Amino acid sequence: MKLKVSEKIHYESGPNMTPLVDIIMVILIFMMLTGTFAVGEWYLQSNMPMTEKGTGGTSVSNVPLDEPLEIRVETIPRIDPQSGLTVEVWVASAGRIQVENDRAALTSQLDAMRQKLNAANTPTSRIQVVISPGRSTRYKHLVEVYQAALEAKLEKVAFSRSR
Amino acid sequence: MKVAKLTPTREVAPNVVPLIDIVMCLIVFYMLVAKFGIETGADRAGITLPLSLQGIQLTDRGNTIDINVRQPAMGDEPLVSGLDEQGRPVNIPVAATGGRTLVDLLRFHRGTNKDFKVNIRADENLHYRFLEPVLIACAEARVAAVNFATRQP
Repeated sequence: MKLKVSEKIHYESGPNMTPLVDIIMVILIFMMLTGTFAVGEWYLQSNMPMTEKGTGGTSVSNVPLDEPLEIRVETIPRIDPQSGLTVEVWVASAGRIQVENDRAALTSQLDAMRQKLNAANTPTSRIQVVISPGRSTRYKHLVEVYQAALEAKLEKVAFSRSR
Repeated sequence: MKVAKLTPTREVAPNVVPLIDIVMCLIVFYMLVAKFGIETGADRAGITLPLSLQGIQLTDRGNTIDINVRQPAMGDEPLVSGLDEQGRPVNIPVAATGGRTLVDLLRFHRGTNKDFKVNIRADENLHYRFLEPVLIACAEARVAAVNFATRQP
């Protein structure tokens, strides 16, 4: 018996896309498996990795020294009034100012200090912020103070040895 | 004038054009965003980076390596990992123990490259006493700049 189906005419509606789709799928799966993403990360830049005494790492005799601005940072325990639990907060002090766990307040204080130094003929590019942490200061608290310095438009930020 | 007759068309296969469009978009996205064949030594699994609102994206990673710093369960030596001379991830001692130290490895990676930079990936709860020896090692190896990896909000 002859099947009617075999007599039907086969229509080609375009180029055969199947090999293309196969190859593209292979490429896609390869990229999904081998590619790595660094999305969600960014970096705080420091061009002065470490300073010994707060005056910069390298000494060049014919270049005027930077004006050091030391910020001492400590991590201290405090009792949270709402929960009653002990939480760790940071305390930053620079000169006569002292700020506890408030980055906006520290930023405005540092900004005022920068403006005073600018008024005294010290350009911002010559102000060297030296973050001076204690041995048990948490890294996240250093980052808070680092950000406050950057927000106060201070460009050069370094770390000193622990106290 | 004769007008050509429109012949009825038949669907012989599912329409794959939208599929190809989407897949092509995904491929282009991966090609632009993902990084292939670049091993910087970053350990993204075991470290919680501190949150920051300031920061920049690094576009050129050719002159940089990542150093991971963790707090040890006990003792005063930080747990530091990065890439060895062959580009394999290894744990690196900071203090001199007779073998290769972090300073030696940084000097090797730096070579004569004056633009060599180190990205420090430290855990947000790390005490500064564990980060300090890493910074000192960077200074001793004459690293041009140090970047501190943070997390975007």
